[in-house]
Amino acid sequence: MTGQGFTCCRRRALQLAGAAAIAGTFSIHPGRRSFATAAGEYGLEITAGRITVDGVGSKAIMMGGSVPAPTLRWREGEEVVIHATNRLDVPTSIHWHGLLLEGVMDGAPGFNGFVAIRPGETWTYRFKLRQSGTYWYHSHSAMQEQQGMYGAIVIEPTGREPVKADRDYVVVLSDHTREDPRRVLANLKIDAGYYNYQKRTLIDFFRDAGREGFWNALTDRLHWAEMRMDPTDLADVTGYTFLVNGRGPKDNWTALFEPGQRVRLRFINASAMSFFDVRIPGLAMTVVSADGQNVQPVRVDEFRFGPGETYDVVVLPREDGAFTIFAEPIDRSGYARATLAPREGMEGPIPERRPRTILSMADMGMDHGETGHGSADRGAGHGMHGGAGMDHAAMGHGAPAADGGPRRPFGWADAATPPGTKALDYADLRAATRNPDDREPTHEIEVRLTGIMERYMWSVNGRPFGKEEPIRVRYGDRVRLKFVNTTMMAHPMHLHGMFVELENGQGDRKPRKHVVVVPPGRTVSAVLTANEPGEWPFHCHLLYHMEAGMMTRFVVEPKLA
Amino acid sequence: MAPTTRWNEARRYLGAAVAVLPALVLGGPARAAETGHLFAAMQVEQLEYRLKNGANVLAWDAHAWVGTDDHKAWLETEGEKPNGERLEQGEFRLLFGRRISDYFDGRVGIRYDVAPSPDRGFAVFSLHGLAPYWFEVDASAFVSHEGEVSARFSADYELLITQRMILQPSMEVDLAAQSVRERGLGSGLNDLELGLRLRYEFVRNFAPYVGIHWERKFGGTADLAREEGEDAEDLAFVVGVRLLL
Amino acid sequence: MSSARSNAVRAFFLAGLATSIFAAGALAAPGHQLPFGEPAKARQATRTVAITMRDNEFDPETVTVKAGEIVRFVVVNKGELLHEFNIGTAAMHAEHQVEMAMMMDHGVLTPTSFVRDVSKIDHARTGGMKMEEMKHDHPNSVLVEPGKTAELVWKFTKSAKLEFACNVPGHYEAGMVGTIEFTK
Repeated sequence: MTGQGFTCCRRRALQLAGAAAIAGTFSIHPGRRSFATAAGEYGLEITAGRITVDGVGSKAIMMGGSVPAPTLRWREGEEVVIHATNRLDVPTSIHWHGLLLEGVMDGAPGFNGFVAIRPGETWTYRFKLRQSGTYWYHSHSAMQEQQGMYGAIVIEPTGREPVKADRDYVVVLSDHTREDPRRVLANLKIDAGYYNYQKRTLIDFFRDAGREGFWNALTDRLHWAEMRMDPTDLADVTGYTFLVNGRGPKDNWTALFEPGQRVRLRFINASAMSFFDVRIPGLAMTVVSADGQNVQPVRVDEFRFGPGETYDVVVLPREDGAFTIFAEPIDRSGYARATLAPREGMEGPIPERRPRTILSMADMGMDHGETGHGSADRGAGHGMHGGAGMDHAAMGHGAPAADGGPRRPFGWADAATPPGTKALDYADLRAATRNPDDREPTHEIEVRLTGIMERYMWSVNGRPFGKEEPIRVRYGDRVRLKFVNTTMMAHPMHLHGMFVELENGQGDRKPRKHVVVVPPGRTVSAVLTANEPGEWPFHCHLLYHMEAGMMTRFVVEPKLA
Repeated sequence: MAPTTRWNEARRYLGAAVAVLPALVLGGPARAAETGHLFAAMQVEQLEYRLKNGANVLAWDAHAWVGTDDHKAWLETEGEKPNGERLEQGEFRLLFGRRISDYFDGRVGIRYDVAPSPDRGFAVFSLHGLAPYWFEVDASAFVSHEGEVSARFSADYELLITQRMILQPSMEVDLAAQSVRERGLGSGLNDLELGLRLRYEFVRNFAPYVGIHWERKFGGTADLAREEGEDAEDLAFVVGVRLLL
Repeated sequence: MSSARSNAVRAFFLAGLATSIFAAGALAAPGHQLPFGEPAKARQATRTVAITMRDNEFDPETVTVKAGEIVRFVVVNKGELLHEFNIGTAAMHAEHQVEMAMMMDHGVLTPTSFVRDVSKIDHARTGGMKMEEMKHDHPNSVLVEPGKTAELVWKFTKSAKLEFACNVPGHYEAGMVGTIEFTK
């Protein structure tokens, strides 16, 4: 414990999840007059340090002296003040992901007048909390997020908290690499397939030829090769160790419960590049919140989420036993694992690993072409999971293998969810309360997600950041954002400053999201009331995609006087 | 050509390159450089020993580039040096290119051959990129400072046997508009090289390989080779290493 | 999706559902008694407790009773979703949640309604199961559709660890549960 780190002063006792994990000082300074109106005042130092994951040490960048950074537990309606001090030798920033706040406090350098915090300097964030729920905070500079700059935010509501949880845990999922992220990006620029060790090989060809026939296997290869596309391109970066609250699979982060207790797990996908399929074998999860916003409860056995998204789930473990929280990235290159147990030191079984899917022609957008809101709705509804159905029949995949082996998943959305179990679909998300703005959108903005995988170039509407054409709307406008994914990868699109309402067929109860996952080749639409003036970042939350240029400006022009 | 003349020649081309490069590389994409989006790579595609009847040969083929997504500068070199003999082929190219489509770069630049003797400087025009079906191709035209025109087409393909064991067939063909007797070149089809290399990528950056290299000279080039007492056709077993730095 | 597969799954669940409801019926049959109490007539009640349901909560969330007391619960659903008022132990609720999930799967329950008229249910969806078994006929429970009011009169025969809960899928987990406390 090194003197750097996390300090706090606030009037009431501060709850900190896993306080023991926090390095550095933690002190309370009651009554600093200059911030008398603020309920909480915090000092967060950004430092370079080292962490140990599964017994292996590596470099990291930390906020408040730990990875993940300390969980900030706040209350709706209060004003918070955070002094962020940069102890690195490069500029940094902290972005409050999902929070509604004034633009300059959003913490994205180059937007809304916010300038990166230079080495040795302190920037004071100050904002009033206008919402409740699960959010997170992370660096918005130089890929520092990949190096450990992320942490959870939990904001209690002023009104009644609908979920009366006996236990409340934050579950921050992340992907950790010992490589320098600049090196990772350089490798991807040199060879977009640099990290893919799951490409289709000659051996796979003979196996498929045996199953599907020689000509079918060959034709399939030729189709992909003609387009210079790779159906195994599910994740750009591998070599990751997948973490739960900063702990590796062997470290086995453990959350305690007493049988019969209602346990709330606030899942945050704080990874740089990983979509996770999350399940807790033996426990049904009831999803009660998405991106911090309450939804009508949905019972599921598993869910998939992308970088930047959050889901709160409730589980009711009744047996006196250990349950494994299991999160597999969609390329199945490893897993994150933690344990829910009545006592420390218990371990649940590691479930059987799910097979990895392979992209289909539908993921290349071969089946879209329909436009209009109806199909956009369907895209949203079926995008995350249901889309797999149509692909199966077409290509003769997806059926149980002739040799009696397990069903081979096919298409991006296919998580190999076992029959009779339920995976969360975007269409299941129904806001707990009616959408406040019932106006029809006055116009539609097409947001084309574009890229050239082979060059590792990513962009929005064909224009990389730096040459972007900002999206402009007027304050108070009601607009529809139509995301058209022209690429072979899924993009979790994140808009700062405002929530969008996902058009998923839920009528006037569209779920509010700050990240919308747009599966490959699909169209998803969302509506938005432009009620936060400013110049907001609008980007893919896959870190290296954003860094490669998949970002634009979303400008809400102020109301005319 | 006397050594001094040769060096003067070389300096002339190098000087031109030094003058042009900063403007090309740093001028256009300066903004990208500011945001850290200037990338560089160095790859030794082949560094190998060719075992064959007669003299064994050390051969290399390497390139480096620096630039952005849209603009890059390349330094490329390839050559062959028979065991105990002088350099048989030694070629350096300095190219500037820009992205002209999703998969192709158009490039212009200079090439300087230190061997075979006498030295030659060339202007280079090249189309370089990834063709459908994953063929990496390069088509280049050369105009020497003596006004000789020639062309080269190369292609290679990577076949994954396993994730790390990769078979790489390659071909290269050289053509010339006129014969350059003193450099041992005839007109028309000069030569064809075919290679088949099997590498094992212990890591992406380090992959030793074995393979075969077959080379055949045609027409006037073949005649000139025979006059020199060389074979017009060569088959070599190769052992080498591929490096990404 | 494979309809053959989902039919098989459905048949499996329905078999289970039929068994569990039959068991529950057998248990409740003699005078509808449960170990901790039994239904009673409204005129026998000594006290009326008003319960308001919203999406997804009860108000109040605690009700205090005496052993032997007969309480008339008047339950108003002010939410937009179907809710249940069910008195039982946590274990009973857990079992009932499984049944309710199956009823939802088979269209007997929708997010906003309970299909009482069994003839309106698509027989194909219930896999030929007897409609009697889908009636949600439990003495300790009432289903209340949005905007409706229902009553449950209960005699708490002896002190027990009881909850009143809504077992519509997801609602219990999301916090729609209250406690019944016994005073001496």
